[in-house]
Amino acid sequence: MRLKRRVHADHESSTGIDLAPMLDFVINLLIFFIVTAVFVKATAVVVNRPTSFEQSTENDSKSIQIQVLENGEVWVDNRSIDVRAVRANVERMSAVNADAGVLILANEMAPMDVVVAVVDEVHLGGIYNITFSTNN
Amino acid sequence: MALKKHTAASEDHGIDLAPMLDFTINLLIFFIIITSFVKEPGVTVFRPIASTAEERPSGNLMIAVRENGDIWIDRRQIDLREVRGIMERLHVERPDDSVVIIPDRAARAGVVAKVMDEVRLGGIKDMAIAADTQAHGG
Repeated sequence: MRLKRRVHADHESSTGIDLAPMLDFVINLLIFFIVTAVFVKATAVVVNRPTSFEQSTENDSKSIQIQVLENGEVWVDNRSIDVRAVRANVERMSAVNADAGVLILANEMAPMDVVVAVVDEVHLGGIYNITFSTNN
Repeated sequence: MALKKHTAASEDHGIDLAPMLDFTINLLIFFIIITSFVKEPGVTVFRPIASTAEERPSGNLMIAVRENGDIWIDRRQIDLREVRGIMERLHVERPDDSVVIIPDRAARAGVVAKVMDEVRLGGIKDMAIAADTQAHGG
């Protein structure tokens, strides 16, 4: 009895499934998917859009308004300022009103690089609650 | 005698392929998932620059807005009115999707705002505007 079992165990170990061909195949598949994979690193800035019923309240005095005109000019407090001066303005105004959000009011035809540059400056000024609105 | 012992030893201590196979199959599954999830717009646009732009690992649905107002999703050009339907369909397929809108530097703010509104009407609230952190273009 004991001898029989030993023979059986020996037989089983010699005919175990050979994993090597499966491994070859899987590694080929792996290489294929690595080669075809698209490595996308999406870096982005997050802005809010006003919903329709928020638009009536967006002109309240709490939010800091920044206008971007069609030609790329940036206006804060009825003054035309340089994009790089947005940060200083935002810091000054947020010192007065600590939890103020920023409303970027862009012209429909305003170029996006200026809008994103303004968003960047506002972030540097310490405010991440930005609403992006357009007018014509 | 010595030869016989040697062959028996080499048979017993052959490399065990099973852990390597497990690991390789995990890698394989990872790459299959990555390839099928990201939807590229299929056009080259020059992204705006923002030093404070953050990496969004979940941003897998990309909408490009070109300087002439063309909108591209998943390697084809579409009309603004089609955006909502496409977003609704994709939102049903995978509710965790988030959208990254890639505007050209000269793209108009009005078009981007309208695309954002259409995406939200399509049911996807999680969206962002793509920007490079350095001025290397592309």
